[in-house]
Amino acid sequence: MFKKPIQRYSGKICEVEVGTGEKTMKLGGEAVLPFYSFDGDTGNKPKIGMEISDVYPEGWIDALKELYKDVSDDPVKWAQFVEEKYNPDFICLKLVSADPNGMDASPEDCAKKVKAVVEAIKTPLIVAGTGNHEKDGKLFEKVAQATEGHNILLMSAVEDNYKTVAAAGVLAYNNKVAAESSVDINLAKQINILINQLGIDNQNIVANIGCAAGGYGYEYVISTLDRVKLAALTQNDKTLQVPIISPISFETWHVKESIEPEENSPQWGNQEDRGISMEIAAATGILTSGSDAIILRHPKSVEVVRSFVNELLG
Amino acid sequence: MEKFLIIGERIHCISPTIKKAIEERDTAPIFKRAKEQLDAGAAYLDVNIGPASKDGEEIMPWIVKAIQNEFDNVPLALDTTNTKAIEAGLKVYNRGNGKPIINSADAGDRIGNIDLAAEYDAMCIALCAKEGITKDNDERISYCTELLEKGMELGMEPTDLLFDPLILVIKGMQEKQKEVLEGIRLISEMGLKTCCGLSNVSNGAPKEVRPIIDATFMAMAIQSGLTSAIVNPCDKRLRETIKTCDVINGAVLYADSYLQL
Amino acid sequence: MALKGLDIFKLTPKKNCKDCGFPTCLAFSMKVASGAVEIGKCPHMSAESIEKLSEATAPLMKTITVGKGDNEYKLGGETVLFRHEKTFVNRNRFAVIFSEDMENSEVDAKIQHIKDVKYVRIGEEMKTEFVALKYISDKDKYVSLINKVKSSGLEVAYILVCEDVPVMKEALELIKDENPIAYGANKDNFKEMVDLVKNDNIALGVKADSLEDLYTLTEEIQKLDYKNLILDPGSKSVKETFENTVQIRRINLQGQDRTFGYPSILFLNELAKGDKFQEVALSTLFTMKYGSILVLNDMDYCRALPLYGIRQNIFTDPQKPMKVEVGLYSLNNANDASPVLCTVDFALTYFVVSGEIERSKVPAWVVIPDAGGYSVLTSWAAGKFTGSVIADAVKKSGVEEKTKSRTLIIPGKVAVLKGELEEELPGWNITVGTSEAMYIPKFLKELVANS
Repeated sequence: MFKKPIQRYSGKICEVEVGTGEKTMKLGGEAVLPFYSFDGDTGNKPKIGMEISDVYPEGWIDALKELYKDVSDDPVKWAQFVEEKYNPDFICLKLVSADPNGMDASPEDCAKKVKAVVEAIKTPLIVAGTGNHEKDGKLFEKVAQATEGHNILLMSAVEDNYKTVAAAGVLAYNNKVAAESSVDINLAKQINILINQLGIDNQNIVANIGCAAGGYGYEYVISTLDRVKLAALTQNDKTLQVPIISPISFETWHVKESIEPEENSPQWGNQEDRGISMEIAAATGILTSGSDAIILRHPKSVEVVRSFVNELLG
Repeated sequence: MEKFLIIGERIHCISPTIKKAIEERDTAPIFKRAKEQLDAGAAYLDVNIGPASKDGEEIMPWIVKAIQNEFDNVPLALDTTNTKAIEAGLKVYNRGNGKPIINSADAGDRIGNIDLAAEYDAMCIALCAKEGITKDNDERISYCTELLEKGMELGMEPTDLLFDPLILVIKGMQEKQKEVLEGIRLISEMGLKTCCGLSNVSNGAPKEVRPIIDATFMAMAIQSGLTSAIVNPCDKRLRETIKTCDVINGAVLYADSYLQL
Repeated sequence: MALKGLDIFKLTPKKNCKDCGFPTCLAFSMKVASGAVEIGKCPHMSAESIEKLSEATAPLMKTITVGKGDNEYKLGGETVLFRHEKTFVNRNRFAVIFSEDMENSEVDAKIQHIKDVKYVRIGEEMKTEFVALKYISDKDKYVSLINKVKSSGLEVAYILVCEDVPVMKEALELIKDENPIAYGANKDNFKEMVDLVKNDNIALGVKADSLEDLYTLTEEIQKLDYKNLILDPGSKSVKETFENTVQIRRINLQGQDRTFGYPSILFLNELAKGDKFQEVALSTLFTMKYGSILVLNDMDYCRALPLYGIRQNIFTDPQKPMKVEVGLYSLNNANDASPVLCTVDFALTYFVVSGEIERSKVPAWVVIPDAGGYSVLTSWAAGKFTGSVIADAVKKSGVEEKTKSRTLIIPGKVAVLKGELEEELPGWNITVGTSEAMYIPKFLKELVANS
């Protein structure tokens, strides 16, 4: 006679809290593969956050610039606007101005901005750096100091700068840290171990294992996520039992499919819709393979992915 | 592929410290060894209380309860020739972190331990031996099948039996070594699990050589399909060998610092 | 898949009668597993056991072939649950739904959309592979819908969606030469449906109210000796549909149960309730997890661009790198003064590099040599991205006639090639570019500003 099998897993993803007060969010906690509620505890619902920038978002598509035109010159106003209007699980402030290849703003100035934002909102805050490891080390040290007590997530620490970022972020100023690796399963594990070895436990770590847009090496991201989750759950590998965050919007909004102007490729149709669609597809596939939190840019994407998650978890 | 199962051997009454601790019901030396082994990566602890023909039924429950209370219900292998003592231990055993292992049954006098394993839903180390030393692989496999059939008749899962091919000492039985490894391969190719008491292989060899023989034999045995062993996890070379085998076999994900975990 | 001795042993009488010539049933089973003895040596095996054993050597999941000619597609045949374990074999396919209650204008529009969305991405043609024709209640209109779509010039395979046996019979007559899928076997009509499709060996779509019912129904159909099936895991909720889809594949591959060893069809148009973005979300979900045919309400570039890109990635063979075509590419309307860049033919590298060049808005030529389809450093290390390979590609590409510029920018990671290239390409100014693609826009802008 037919009986539905239930798969038991020996491991469980650690729970990590970001933010303070009633809007504190809990990431992770699942003991089964993503959305496999038929096997057991799916933990905390995957969290959906929205990206904002500390300077006017020059590179964003016109539709989004228009949407934020009254607030995008001031990250505090922008964060408040997003919080009130879209109520995301968290807000991700990207410190674009700090980029040494761009405006190269000082860590002190950036820290002031972050402090102003975090004090103006109740929503948990994630701060993203520049991708320049040296600069990010200095940047996050100042940001962590300025935001002590707000329990923000610093994104991210890499092999080159984790000693500064994780030590300052977590040990000195009690914030959380994202451990970043770029779609490399062994490095994903190694960076967690290195941070653990500083004396920081899994409850303070979130992993960013890398991200991609559909069609751009997406399969590497999916297989890395699959393997991390399987090792964490079926092999009970403690070094991988941290929640995963995926900055979807950082990747999908600069590929051609999302930004090609309509006049250049009229057959492709509406630019904004394409961008949303690319963002939704990348997000839902990555959630299906094990991400616990995603960063999105377009409010429509947030709405659709939120309803997708709610439908799947019932 | 499952991770190699390490069963720590160091709570053994052959050790004067442990023997004394058992006699005096003094948990401290026992806990010390338990902790050392767990810290070194043991998944199970073997608890050998000796023949204990007189007071085994009292000692085994005492030691099982004590260790499990102290170490979050760590799973144990109950090791004595006194079947009643094992049964008494099984009665108080907490299986929250894994079934108990009965150490051990064979195809001779101790085949009754399979019945005990079936009755208590325990795992059981099944020695592929009857009397004395198993002659060759034909004999080894015939004992293996005998024990397997017995277990399956009693409704046991084949994977709850850990077949021990019986490791032979290299010093004196060098010519048998390849056949033992081949025996492990034959058993594991049937989809069965295996176990062995490793240290026998290097018995009598100089102290500085023993860890090298142990570790090398271990790597070769794992390649032949060995899935668990009763070993000293505090032996660094051996521990590192097993960890590396797990990584090469894909049972554990590689990271540069994997040996430090 | 080789059978283990223990699996065979479970099927023996376990009586140790020695009639086979071996001391025990287990010993006999081990010999059978090793191929040394025929299973028939045991006179006490039941016919069912022997059948099970012969079945056990067949693939766990069937490969179902539907459609005809250029529009023939293979579905199923998967062997693993996760792509990293080996590879996924047959990519999922997309279908667009039609029904006879749609306005003519809507039908026309959808047909046009299917025709419009057709393009090649890294050597793969991207298009809508199936149309699903759904019967609601008006047979005459349904027949004319089939005829209309069939004569529309679409290059597709067909799915007839109809649970009414007489209507299905008539519809099949119109279209069976196309080797369509006949979807609509349920617990009440399956015998008649099997009769309908059996002679022509048409793939039969099977639906039921629950996973348990689907299992029972599939067993019943298999008893009629029909195994050309496609299963519908669908239910009213996304949650249950996902569970069913995962369970079917898991029971099949992990539980080694061939009753569920068939491809799936998912009507995402219904689950998404008309929201095209939700269709995109659900399509991605079921591309990752075990959908074979995904039925959508419509196809446009907004759906196609992400979905075909993701599908191409997920179903790529990890052993075979994805390569773009060797040759010369013009970006941002490159002209006779534009600089030339060079990178490898690994698709991912090309896309990232070309994307960044496009972002810079600087007109530029890109020369792609045959570098084996690996990343810059890997190809260089393998001796496939050398000075002479690049020089050769530059000469063959004809770029020397297209631009007067003699600036050739090479990836920063292979700066060591500069000297070699200067020898190979006299007259060219070999410039070392950035080591990360993200810095290309800044680099190009500065290059243009300084020239």
